[in-house]
Amino acid sequence: MSDCQEVIQQLWEFLDGELPEGEAAEIRLHLSECAHCNPQYEFQLRFLDALVKAYAAREVPQPEFVRRLKAALGTIGDDLT
Amino acid sequence: MTHPADGPRTAFQAEALQHLDSVYRYAFALTRDRSEAEDLVQDTFLQALRHWDQFRPGTNARAWLFTICRNLFLRQRERRAREEPTEAAALDGLAAAAQAFAAPPDAGRALFDAPELGDVIRRELDKLPAEYREVVELSDLQDQSYADIAQVLGVPLGTVKSRLFRGRRLLQEALVDYARDAGLLPPPESDA
Repeated sequence: MSDCQEVIQQLWEFLDGELPEGEAAEIRLHLSECAHCNPQYEFQLRFLDALVKAYAAREVPQPEFVRRLKAALGTIGDDLT
Repeated sequence: MTHPADGPRTAFQAEALQHLDSVYRYAFALTRDRSEAEDLVQDTFLQALRHWDQFRPGTNARAWLFTICRNLFLRQRERRAREEPTEAAALDGLAAAAQAFAAPPDAGRALFDAPELGDVIRRELDKLPAEYREVVELSDLQDQSYADIAQVLGVPLGTVKSRLFRGRRLLQEALVDYARDAGLLPPPESDA
């Protein structure tokens, strides 16, 4: 490795932590040295960060709903074996 | 681990109910409606409790709940149970999908520093076709692995990757289009 084309094709799997450590290490090394791939990596990283932040304050279940749910679960939980 | 010798309800509360917020958010992402999401979550947890003996301790309880939630959602919507592309067909499109979006120079700074970015992302993610949106939701907002997403959706791993990469790419293209329309980025060179 590491051909730029291969690195770019594996970038998402690298960012998602889905690559075996050996392959991830090769990509990490390539990114640290490649002026072409590194900006792409930085862009994808910032994109994923922005996506998470955009949904940081999301819908949460209302307390009244949580009470109703737990009551409903209580009515069937006791007879399970 | 509290399963099942401690009593099914005790074990269920310890293992499953801790994921209530995540399941609710997933249900909301599917239904886009608070009332429908609440009904779906309640049905999900009731079904999970009834079938608690089928949960294998030590496995991903959140993914198991997502699976139940999604199956109930599909059934409620009377969608087809299964009409998924084959692994080979999914992989055909994978190389193209995996080709990361070629960001314009300086796009990162102009785009990611925009104060309205959160609103734009939420709006554009809502517009994505459901098959892409739900994979982005499970991966990027619910932090599920490719394998767990494949389990939740009942599709091959290659399909998960293909949809995820394509979904992200569509979202990025929409964000760059927004940045150009808003004057945050210059138009593409061919238009200049």
